[in-house]
Amino acid sequence: MHIQSLIRKILKYLLTAMLLISLPAIGLSQQIIKGTVKASDNGESLPGVNVIVKGTNHGTVTNFDGFYTLDLKPEEKVLVFSFIGYEDQEIEIGTQTVLNVTLKSKNTAIDELVVIGYGVQKKSDITGATIQLKGTELSKQPVLTATQAMQGKVSGVQIISSGNPGSTPQMRIRGTGTMLGGTHVLYVVDGILTDDITNVNSSDIVDMNILKDASSSAIYGSRGANGVIIITTKKGSSSAGKLNINYNSNIGIRQASNLVKMANAAEYKNYYQAATGIAISGPTANTNWYKTILRNAFEQNQNISISGGSEKATYFFSTSYLNDQGIVLKNNFKRITLRSNIDFNISKYIKTGFQSSYANAINENGFNNLDINENGNIGSAFNDAYRAAPIISPKVGDKYGNVSAFNGQVGNPLLDIENNRVRVAANRIQAAGYLDINPFSFLSYHSSIGTDILFRQARLYDYKFLNDETNFDVAGGNQLNSISYLANKNVQNFKWVWDNYITFSKKFDKHDFKLMVGTTAEKFQETWLSGSRKDVPADSDLWYLYNGLANSSQNDGKGDIWTRNSYMSRLNYSYNDRYMLTATLRRDGSSRFPKKNRWGTFPSVGLAWNINKESFMQSQHLFDVLRVRASWGVVGNDQISTDAYTNTVIPNLAYPFSGISSGASNGSQINQIKDPNIKWESTAEYDFALEFGVLENKLSGELNYYNKKVDNALINVNIPSTVGDADHQILTNATSIQNTGVEVMIKWKSSVNKNLSYSIGANVTLNKNKVVGLNGGEPIWGGNIGAAQGFTTLTDNNHAIGSFYVLKVLGVFQDDPEILNYKSSNGTIIQPTAKPGEFKYWDKNDDGKIDDKDRDFAGSYQPKAYFGVNINVYYRKWDFSMDIYGNVGNKVYNGKRAIRINGKDNIESALVYNRWNGSQNPSQTQPGANTGNLLASDYFVESGDFYRINNLTVGYTFPDPFLKKLNISSLRVFITSQNLLTLKKYSGFTSELPGSPLDSGIELSTYPTTRTIALGVNLNF
Amino acid sequence: MKTLYISIFLIAIVLTSCSESFLDVPIQGGATTKSDPDLAQKLVTGTYNSLLQGDSWGNGDVHGFAFISVTDIASDDADKGSTLDDQKVPVGDIDDFNLTATNKFAETLWSGHYNAIGTANQALLALSTANISTQTKNRLIGEVRFLRGYLYFNLVRMFGDVPLVMRVPKDQTDANNDPAFQTRVNKQIVYDSIVSDLQFSVDNLPLKSAYPVGHANKGAAESMLAKVYMYLQDWQKVYDLTQDVILSGKYGLVDYSILWRQAGDNCNESIFEIETGSYNNSNLGVSNYTVSQGVRVGGMGGWNDLGWGFCTPTTNLINAYEPGDKRKDATIIFIDNSGTHKGTVLWDGFRVPSKDSVQNLYYNYKAYASASKETFVNQNDKDRPKNIKILRYADVLLMNAEAAYHIGGDVSTPLHLIRQRAGLADVAPTLDNIWKERRLELALEHDRFWDLVRQGRASQVLNAVGKHFVAGTHELLPIPNSQIQLSGGKLTQNFGY
Repeated sequence: MHIQSLIRKILKYLLTAMLLISLPAIGLSQQIIKGTVKASDNGESLPGVNVIVKGTNHGTVTNFDGFYTLDLKPEEKVLVFSFIGYEDQEIEIGTQTVLNVTLKSKNTAIDELVVIGYGVQKKSDITGATIQLKGTELSKQPVLTATQAMQGKVSGVQIISSGNPGSTPQMRIRGTGTMLGGTHVLYVVDGILTDDITNVNSSDIVDMNILKDASSSAIYGSRGANGVIIITTKKGSSSAGKLNINYNSNIGIRQASNLVKMANAAEYKNYYQAATGIAISGPTANTNWYKTILRNAFEQNQNISISGGSEKATYFFSTSYLNDQGIVLKNNFKRITLRSNIDFNISKYIKTGFQSSYANAINENGFNNLDINENGNIGSAFNDAYRAAPIISPKVGDKYGNVSAFNGQVGNPLLDIENNRVRVAANRIQAAGYLDINPFSFLSYHSSIGTDILFRQARLYDYKFLNDETNFDVAGGNQLNSISYLANKNVQNFKWVWDNYITFSKKFDKHDFKLMVGTTAEKFQETWLSGSRKDVPADSDLWYLYNGLANSSQNDGKGDIWTRNSYMSRLNYSYNDRYMLTATLRRDGSSRFPKKNRWGTFPSVGLAWNINKESFMQSQHLFDVLRVRASWGVVGNDQISTDAYTNTVIPNLAYPFSGISSGASNGSQINQIKDPNIKWESTAEYDFALEFGVLENKLSGELNYYNKKVDNALINVNIPSTVGDADHQILTNATSIQNTGVEVMIKWKSSVNKNLSYSIGANVTLNKNKVVGLNGGEPIWGGNIGAAQGFTTLTDNNHAIGSFYVLKVLGVFQDDPEILNYKSSNGTIIQPTAKPGEFKYWDKNDDGKIDDKDRDFAGSYQPKAYFGVNINVYYRKWDFSMDIYGNVGNKVYNGKRAIRINGKDNIESALVYNRWNGSQNPSQTQPGANTGNLLASDYFVESGDFYRINNLTVGYTFPDPFLKKLNISSLRVFITSQNLLTLKKYSGFTSELPGSPLDSGIELSTYPTTRTIALGVNLNF
Repeated sequence: MKTLYISIFLIAIVLTSCSESFLDVPIQGGATTKSDPDLAQKLVTGTYNSLLQGDSWGNGDVHGFAFISVTDIASDDADKGSTLDDQKVPVGDIDDFNLTATNKFAETLWSGHYNAIGTANQALLALSTANISTQTKNRLIGEVRFLRGYLYFNLVRMFGDVPLVMRVPKDQTDANNDPAFQTRVNKQIVYDSIVSDLQFSVDNLPLKSAYPVGHANKGAAESMLAKVYMYLQDWQKVYDLTQDVILSGKYGLVDYSILWRQAGDNCNESIFEIETGSYNNSNLGVSNYTVSQGVRVGGMGGWNDLGWGFCTPTTNLINAYEPGDKRKDATIIFIDNSGTHKGTVLWDGFRVPSKDSVQNLYYNYKAYASASKETFVNQNDKDRPKNIKILRYADVLLMNAEAAYHIGGDVSTPLHLIRQRAGLADVAPTLDNIWKERRLELALEHDRFWDLVRQGRASQVLNAVGKHFVAGTHELLPIPNSQIQLSGGKLTQNFGY
């Protein structure tokens, strides 16, 4: 809403100038027509509306009060009224001299045009589950990707965010539908298919269309199974008639939103003595290791765009700079983007255009998700900060506290960060050109070619440092690197995609047909090259292989190529705007599958009924919108490696025939058995929905039910060793997964008076995930966290994927008699070596001992429900918005607590005080002081429920008179906070823990989520 | 009309498909026999590489820590060592015959050997169609069959009856349907196959002098075949084959102390050894072979130790040496426990601290790799590679002596050669003396446990040193439980497990 009012204001000033210029032209008229243009949604007059005589350039624009006047020649019979955000209207003048017009806003929820993949469709004609989000909603948050900004806004879409700068949050649309196939959502950015949108500046986005169900995503066939998000970037506009300069900026501070309080020196010593009976003498520091490695980080995002155009051409240029310091020392992410979108109307029949973007992103010393295996030690730093004893100093002068000399297995967290440097630079160019030809009104042809070019360079440097007294306060320990090391890796990706399609549309009486047929072809190529040397000097200007020891060189390189070719078609039919049918059929061919399974067919059908358009509904005034939808579709997931179906030779299995005296001979093995019949996972989904709008659409909502079954899901099946497969596993299509759920979205939108309007939206999704057809019934272990615990999850029939599978704690042994009385039914003492204060575990199989056979299911990381609430309030010049997000019913595994495997490891402060302590604290839930190495049990499984104020923004738009003096069209300042407040039950850092389907929800060395407070400005000239 | 033509043209473009060949994309970087003519040769080398497997807790072990455990630690020559608790399961269980069918080391030995046999079968398959001369082809086949014969020889000694996999399965269905992949065959049939493989090698491989170092040659094949016949107690064949090796004149005895150092790699005494060295500027060897047996820090600590301290020589072994036996100090590192804190200075000058700072009293000297006097590309790596002698001339002489004893030949001459080098006087040519000489000569060289089983006195000897060896069961390892399950119960378990 406020965007439109901004535009109105911009136009008011523009018009003053234009009217003055056009004055002399008035007076030669033969017929004068005049009138006022108003908006349908609020009845206010619309300034700046284009009023043009059809088929000519002759026209005018309305003034501040929405009034226009135009002199006409006799042959000029039809006027066209157009205004941004409103539907065009053509009106025959006839003999009228006054023509008052009401323009219909496109914002009335039901008649927006929605991008549906290879075309657009009126929202009221849509038969599948798609949701549109506006770019303005996405770009207002101080986050890197639009994906993150979606969190809590859309039902059925779960976003698992991360505090890690430069990362893409994990997204699950309608539950987890795969185990080993990739889980990436397909993004379509201006026609380019990708799974990474960290290069896209959120301010450049017009809208995102989320295709949730199989019937909408079936047009993307073998790639649609994880959901599809279509992103359209901005274009210039000719209707505004003016060059627009837009500047957006925000600058803020980030900090960890939640930390775990560890024991201080005194608490630590006390606990250690309680656990071991030995008092610690020695170091006397009192270190808070998290404070040592974390910081308040600075964040900024600057955007400038210029757009405009004429009838023949429109343009949009933008540039942005984003800097996101990590909250961990030395971690930093920077991104520069450039975009140029240009469109040409060559003639009445031909349109063409070109969208291109360049992004340069540099990620230093982070966790990187860039698939380049150069990771620094941030992960170890988090782990070590949890475990390092607080009595050791981080650094005294230039000497580090020697944590590992004190406790062999844990390094100094500060040194973990400072002993290496990692830098990953990515340069990405995405460019797409299109050509639209409309030779007849019923026929249009579209061709587009898109390219996506990505160069990535990673560099890792490990400093040399010895465990002696030059580096540490005391010598010893195992944290050392006796020789410096430099590694480089360069990766080049090149991809092109070529779409061609024809759309026929024809209306016969009440029958409206639209048929699209087309083809698309795609090719991907990757090559990578890596090299390393040792003994490279520590000066960063010398970090080139050139400066290293040549006979320590190692190098490697490989490539990948795959192609796809597809045929797609879609039929839309609607009868009298009441009954809708959408049917799609896509045939996909992929080079990644064996020849006989190369082609797959993906059909879908969707039906909708606009009940409110029926004549029997015309007498009622309750429902403005009432429609029901039903759809079915089949989609696929083809994210497996290129060589999954065929045996290849594994090189570099050399043998040094003459020992050390000369190099080794080149050797190879064929040591894998592959499934030559492998094919894509296929998902069939039903979707039923009800949409309504009542009270003049003030209250609108949507209710969806879905049932989605994945067949042929890929899993690794264990095979006997005798077959001769080195990892004793074979990847094959052998399981089924089911997700069923209900989604509800409701929105209330109202204007109280001229000054105050507001809206409240809420959405909730209930999802149930289970494995239904694990082949051969052999369950799959996952979530291996090593140490004393091993695997923590089990994926088995009738349970959610990756459910925790651990021992059940019955209580804490209070005294020796209780231990001796805890027997199996045949009288065996179950835990004879236990001591009071240790856990009493459930002997599930009653065999008189506790082992892996006593494990049981203990919930899953998949929430039973997740929800969002979005509130917007506009009062005079103020705007306020709040987004709330939360989920319930999921479990998390406190893995970092579980890998406490040494008595000298630190302990959480709360556990020092809450621990079982004989008669002083006869706890049944917390064990007594211990030296770690606890078995995997439900003690470590905690509730993952949380509720969070995702975003809170308050803005103020300056009044016009003030701006006029400064030649500014509009100016808004705002303060925004991301993750202002989180309420959670979990005792760790965050219960948002991304991971692969078999081992998500385990907190080990997770990057803490961050809270941001930022100030920003939106400025238009 | 013009627009109509344009339309037809456009529709034609859209409907014209790419050709099917657009989707025929060869896998990048994955060689086949067609794309790489040298592949067969490389697969032979790759089969040798599979001997280096040492992933004892993971997917496969052939000569790693698991192999050390079942050959040396299980015997009366070595104890588990290290700290009391470290690797109690699975190594302690192997040491004390407290084995169960879920023992991880037994499983990785099974897997590792079948992995290696799989690579051998793949190499043989590629060789059968390789475009090379018949002579070269037969030599390469000879090498691979030598390796396959050796691998089955280990398997049959570890597990008894085993599945005899002699070909590559076409796919998973083939592997499921052909009982050869899942069913154990009588060990006699396995031995027949071993003999057939090794005989082919004997017939086709050239002598040591005519073949590159490190490759299996005629002498290696004859010696291996002789050893197999020794286990089958076909003494005449043992005698003939060892005699052939001795008379070839290609081998001799060297200074005992250098045998297990780099100076002794591929020396005159070596007949077949696992070669280690470097590749791609990294160490290339059997994972954990040296580090698992290295001297371990203990007590007061304060030094960078050499390893984990497993496979420590027993006092029973130490006491078996006669006074003056040069082999004793070349086999065992004695930790200074005198209270004088002099420590132990090793052959390269490295000083091991005294008992206060060391976990155990004795360590395996044969597994010591010197950071200062030996060459490694990655000198700082604790797990420095070491060649493992599988067959050496002394073994052949002792087999020759034992065979001569049974067929009434000359026992004294070979026995004399062995004792002379050890700095000892001759003894009577009795079977006991031959066996004792075998033990001390090949101590900690992965021969003792199987030797005791072969000699039929494992129960007697091992229970005498306090182990819990059950005759009729512990001669063999359990068939891994996981494998029995994966076979759908087609694999049977060994008696007593």
